Amino acid sequence: MGSFHLGGMTFGSLFKKPETLLYPTETKQPYPGQKGHVVNDVDACILCGMCQRVCPCHCIAVSKPERTWEIQPFMCIQCGSCVAACPTKCLTMDPAYTPVATKKHTVTCSVPEKE
Amino acid sequence: MGKATVIPFGPQHPVLPEPLHLDLVVQDETVVDCLPQIGFVHRGLEKLVETRDYNQFIYVAERICGICAMGHSLGYAETVESLMDIEVPSRAEYLRVIWHELSRIHSHLLWLGLAADAFGFESMFMHCWRLRERILDIFEKTTGGRVILSVVRVGGVNRDIEDSELKVICQTLDGIKGEYQQIMDTLLTDMSVKNRTVGVGTLSHEQAVALSMVGPFARASQVNYDVRTFGKGAYRALTEFQPILDAQGDCYARVKVRCLEVLQSIDIIKELAAKIPAGDISVKVKGNPEEGARAANVLEQPRGECYYYAQGNGTKFLERMRMRTPTSQNLAGMVEALKGADLADVNMIILTIDPCISCTER
Amino acid sequence: MGFSTEFRTLAVQSLHEDAASRKDEGWRYVQMLAVNNDESVDLVYSYMKDGLLDNAVIEALPKDAEVPSITDLYLEAFVCENEIHDLFGITFKGLAIDFLGNFYRVSTDVPMTIISPEKLAEREKQRKLAEKKAKAEAAKQAKEAAVEGSSDASDVDPQAASADAELEAKLAAMPPEKAAKVRAAMEAKAAKAKKGTEGEGA
Repeated sequence: MGSFHLGGMTFGSLFKKPETLLYPTETKQPYPGQKGHVVNDVDACILCGMCQRVCPCHCIAVSKPERTWEIQPFMCIQCGSCVAACPTKCLTMDPAYTPVATKKHTVTCSVPEKE
Repeated sequence: MGKATVIPFGPQHPVLPEPLHLDLVVQDETVVDCLPQIGFVHRGLEKLVETRDYNQFIYVAERICGICAMGHSLGYAETVESLMDIEVPSRAEYLRVIWHELSRIHSHLLWLGLAADAFGFESMFMHCWRLRERILDIFEKTTGGRVILSVVRVGGVNRDIEDSELKVICQTLDGIKGEYQQIMDTLLTDMSVKNRTVGVGTLSHEQAVALSMVGPFARASQVNYDVRTFGKGAYRALTEFQPILDAQGDCYARVKVRCLEVLQSIDIIKELAAKIPAGDISVKVKGNPEEGARAANVLEQPRGECYYYAQGNGTKFLERMRMRTPTSQNLAGMVEALKGADLADVNMIILTIDPCISCTER
Repeated sequence: MGFSTEFRTLAVQSLHEDAASRKDEGWRYVQMLAVNNDESVDLVYSYMKDGLLDNAVIEALPKDAEVPSITDLYLEAFVCENEIHDLFGITFKGLAIDFLGNFYRVSTDVPMTIISPEKLAEREKQRKLAEKKAKAEAAKQAKEAAVEGSSDASDVDPQAASADAELEAKLAAMPPEKAAKVRAAMEAKAAKAKKGTEGEGA
């Protein structure tokens, strides 16, 4: 009879710690290399626009005259192309996911003038 | 014999994870004919190749289907590489195959859970998905993504796995293997599972060959065809590779073939992790595909052989990109397998074929 | 067993015969696809046997062509044939399972034959680039000719001409707004240089 084959395993899991997390109260510690969201270190940014050019979903907008760097976090697919293409390595991938929101928004960074 | 009635099945049905519509012609309780209909999720991804350059399109290719994400990005990259004559470093080839085989395990475990759920075997479903979560954890740790990995690029891979990390992966897989074997033994010996699958939806070897079937569906009917035997990429480093075959051709055979393929994938990963050479993980890609250049390629996805075609036009955009996915090849076989089946077995037959409709329509 | 691919051209008249002989020889049907060109459509039929992937290309079919179906031999081709009919507008004669254009629910008729504006823009860019390149080549030749001939024969400075042509080629590859900006900057620079020389003269 095969009906109780899985019995041992199922019974055993009664005494093990749960495999799942009680999500809103506990959150998983992200792995260091996890692809969460893109952050820009504005002090190193030279507004070259490389990230804008390689982005497959056109979610980055770089404006040289206004000295701004914009990203739409809900359009971004976390592929990491911009991070790889950045010549000054000012873009990095942060392991934390973008928190849920009721509205899509744009993150704007203003890049200070370099001397 | 009663008169024939047409019963619509899908696109919304508890057993179907994806929208497939079947018009089942039934006489009494027996299916005499069936007409499959797709087209509910056509997104025109092949057309997008005109607006995304060949480096960006890899992320579109990945999003054709969540379960085969790694396979599609790998197949696309290999095709463009052969179009542009790019030699990929061998460490990258090994890493690609390791990830691809991991995604096969994840796909088969997901499918096994769904199948168990369809038999009414809830606890099996939980156990399968619990094990699958460990594979997704490996993905998260090594690539940064759970399902959409974005790790393959034209000319290599984006991330390396440290040798120490590979050892940890092998240990995790050993842990999974022990538990998985218990699940598999239950599934393959359980009476209620056998009652539902043995002798149901049989497809003979001759039919499977005549309908050019691919993947585990074909291998369950003794069709000795697996793209991995061609030894492309890191598969050529394997000392021995024999596709898993079964002669019965029924639902039980298909369950068995998929179950055993998980163990085979674990062995492949462990062998490659032991053999992986040191070196670069990618090469720089320069230039554009030439005008009129064509390349065709096949790859063994979890569901079977997938065909890729790329054509260049001298610009950074490809002229044409095409994927023919395993399910589109297996649709005709599915119709054959359904003929003569009981109406109550239709969901079981469709599940054991493991159709992936969003792949088929793109 | 190794893997190799092969491409060969096929006439549309012998398409069905070819498929029949493939079937007899035990080849496996792999797929068929269509490629949209400006005036025509190409079809590619693929078969496989022992690791050899054989792709038969039928070139330059008219957009509204009628092609014999191979579903009487390979039933599994019905998916691809219906797809090509819906997306490219090629009609298949004798299709075993014919959805009569209702296989995919598409909002525009034959969507894959539309040449997208992005593709046209890219083509225009390539064309301009090639034109400028040719111009630069011509200027270079003119310069060489001038060097070969008497040095004061040409009233245009050949070096400047070739530099200009090169610049033009670069500008053609840029998006129009950017090209305009670069042009303005170059003019300003030239004006400044002129002013500078005038100042020196005075």
